Amino acid sequence: MKATVAEGLEIGTQLPPLTVRFTRERLVRYAGAATDFNPIHYSEHFARQAGLPSVIAHGMLTMGTALRVVTNWVGDPSRVISYSARFPRPVVVPDDADGVDVELGGSVSAIEGSLVTVNIEAISADQKVLGAARAEVDLGVRVPHRDHET
Amino acid sequence: MPITEAHAGRRYPPCDPYQVSAAKIAEFTTALGDDNPRYRGESPMAPPTFAAVISAHAFDQLFGDEELELLWARTVHGDQRFIFSRPIHAGDVVIASLTIDKVRIRAGSELISTTVDMADHDGGPICSAEATFYHVREALA
Repeated sequence: MKATVAEGLEIGTQLPPLTVRFTRERLVRYAGAATDFNPIHYSEHFARQAGLPSVIAHGMLTMGTALRVVTNWVGDPSRVISYSARFPRPVVVPDDADGVDVELGGSVSAIEGSLVTVNIEAISADQKVLGAARAEVDLGVRVPHRDHET
Repeated sequence: MPITEAHAGRRYPPCDPYQVSAAKIAEFTTALGDDNPRYRGESPMAPPTFAAVISAHAFDQLFGDEELELLWARTVHGDQRFIFSRPIHAGDVVIASLTIDKVRIRAGSELISTTVDMADHDGGPICSAEATFYHVREALA
């Protein structure tokens, strides 16, 4: 863990944001890495059959990438003890060279002893693509107390 | 007969043990564009959401259960929750077991909630992964 992470931490502290770009190539790469070969993530035909507007990113690609906001900040990913999210809207990935950007951010929503809850935001095409995304991190050291009430 | 609410509680036998490799972790972190040094080197840890890779084998059982008549191609991930008992490292052998927690039947679709419990050979907990999937019964296009 980075020594400075716990210092000065309070409710509302923003984590450094991150913008990532999803292309069809990225989806194929994730499909292979995750062994999730659902064709809605590479085939227009199957995406439409499932009621989707077009090929979409794996929810887990968005969720896994979004956690980088937390793990980049805390340094040691083994500090993450829980992580949850909903997928309220799909990230539609166009069949072109540019793909689509996903803007990721996080802010501290709760502190209890060494446990810090981070709310994660993920925005693509001006829409929230993760809902109620929360990671719990155990910093291993008590966060110096300031005002931890919301 | 396709999946019904009565399938809640169905638990599948444990999957074949999954051996975590540094090469698979490297593939996965590259796909996430994640260059955290803890995922590299001789004894890397896996990113927390690597648990999804191991879960994928358990989902093969669910979607391979002919009685349920489910197609992965008409399935969209609705939500996901991971509770990590400990991090996953290269060299770990992980055994995943899937349970159907709840089935909700809608017009033309189903919402299926599952838990995949991941444990080591001795049953020591590694990760619990709860997911909800939206399954479209008939092709919409």
